[in-house]
Amino acid sequence: MARSPGEGSVSPSASLRGTRETLSDPELESLGSDSEINGFTAERKTDKYGFLIKTEENGGREEELSVDVLRQREAKWLDMLFNWDKWMAKRHKKIKLRCQKGIPPSLRGRAWQYLSGSRVKMDQNPNKFTELDSMAGDPKWVDIIERDLHRQFPFHEMFVARGGHGQQDLFRVLKAYTLYRPDEGYCQAQAPIAAVLLMHMPAEQAFWCLVQICEKYLPGYYSEKLEAIQLDGRILFSLLRKVSAVAYKHLSKQKIDPILYMTEWFMCAFSRTLPWSSVLRVWDMFFCEGNFVCH
Amino acid sequence: MAKQYDVLFRLLLIGDSGVGKTCLLCRFTDNEFHPSHISTIGVDFKMKTIDVDGIKVRIQIWDTAGQERYQTITKQYYRRAQGIFLVYDITSERSYQHIMKWASDVDEYAPDGVQKILIGNKADEEHKRQVGKHQGMKLAEEYGMDFYETSACTNYNIKESFTRLTELVLMAHRKELDGLRLASNDELNLAELEEDGRKADGTANSKSCWC
Ligand SMILES: Nc1nc2c(ncn2[C@@H]2O[C@H](COP(=O)(O)OP(=O)(O)OP(=O)(O)O)[C@@H](O)[C@H]2O)c(=O)[nH]1
Ligand SMILES: [Mg+2]
Repeated sequence: MARSPGEGSVSPSASLRGTRETLSDPELESLGSDSEINGFTAERKTDKYGFLIKTEENGGREEELSVDVLRQREAKWLDMLFNWDKWMAKRHKKIKLRCQKGIPPSLRGRAWQYLSGSRVKMDQNPNKFTELDSMAGDPKWVDIIERDLHRQFPFHEMFVARGGHGQQDLFRVLKAYTLYRPDEGYCQAQAPIAAVLLMHMPAEQAFWCLVQICEKYLPGYYSEKLEAIQLDGRILFSLLRKVSAVAYKHLSKQKIDPILYMTEWFMCAFSRTLPWSSVLRVWDMFFCEGNFVCH
Repeated sequence: MAKQYDVLFRLLLIGDSGVGKTCLLCRFTDNEFHPSHISTIGVDFKMKTIDVDGIKVRIQIWDTAGQERYQTITKQYYRRAQGIFLVYDITSERSYQHIMKWASDVDEYAPDGVQKILIGNKADEEHKRQVGKHQGMKLAEEYGMDFYETSACTNYNIKESFTRLTELVLMAHRKELDGLRLASNDELNLAELEEDGRKADGTANSKSCWC
């Protein structure tokens, strides 16, 4: 279930594993105008996605759906989720159409799990996550994961607090993956992916969703030599040539390789690139249809 | 139209993940420090124009991801650099040990005349220090590089180190520069990169690119 991003974010609990700085670190307090972001101001405001609102900016205007439409969509999605196998077998096109319209926010986390097949995988491996969660990670990976925990969506209320629940769950999911696939270990681009998942579902569910993304949707993206992303870069560039010869020529002339701009777009599934409402819509379609370059 | 700059070239930041490369760059170009900057995936860059001995130098500074597996991607940028910062973290012995590996990669992939300096960052964290200042100096000497301890957090030695590397690159390209003084209408483009869309720089002369 999509859980409200409010829960479990404000805990100013001290360091995660004794290595991270605590919130009362004087260095953090000397941040001046940014000190609100550390989770101490009482009336912290967030947008509906849980991102802290800076007072100046008014948030992009988004079309708001009427409550009626939203309720209708939720009812339709609930029906689909309850009869998922039947829908997948017989009315796949309809599912796709509904994804294109956007998954209702309250059901997004669940829908992603069904669309990606992570739900099935989790049910097939009921104790796996708990087992991985209780194991100690390889220090090589633990060290680098820990350096990354406070560097993902630092302006989202779930990840704002050092050592808070959001960052702790992020650690658990990423560490579990390195134990699940010791041959792949940890790739830094997995952190923002896992963070987006955690905004929508609990750690165990997020773990299996991450597994599906890494194995099924973007195979080879995060592995040792990063060959897949480089290949996709070349594919993207040749697609660009077909779609816009002008842009292609310009970029070639400026010697701007695709790898320069698309690495972060693709490896982080646009989560750091697009406005948030678009990120969610892209992810809806991504889970429904797969890889980006093919579309 | 007045020239926007006399010389354009590229600097590159390398070093282990988390040593503070992105923080150093943000401090230098925007004079900002966010303790929770997002981690770098792939390569990124920022621009800044500075004045060195009356020469307007436009520098493009490339910031790379430190994790080992990105090196297949980041190495492709070494050969385009005129100057390189090798950065370690004074609170991490490991990041210091790894400088050896970074330096040998530079030897292998960067152009011959490339200028290098060694940076020991996070100098403000004296209580967590694992690498002595003399160790940094010694290593720099072995490699024939200049050395600075810096802090992106307290803005210590940031401008100094960036200016120093810029000067070194300028000195290494003295000949081309002298030519420039004679025919002072053109700008010298060491990075062989045409600048596109000449937006007026206004007050802040740093424009971040794909960040
Ligand atoms: N105390 C202190 N902390 C710093 C300093 N510079 C960076 N940091 C901290 O170190 C962390 C990592 O810094 P980054 O600039 O993101 O590291 P990076 O070298 O760019 O790492 P990658 O992008 O993963 O290669 C930051 O989140 C800061 O909290 C500094 O001068 N002093
Ligand atoms: Mg960085």
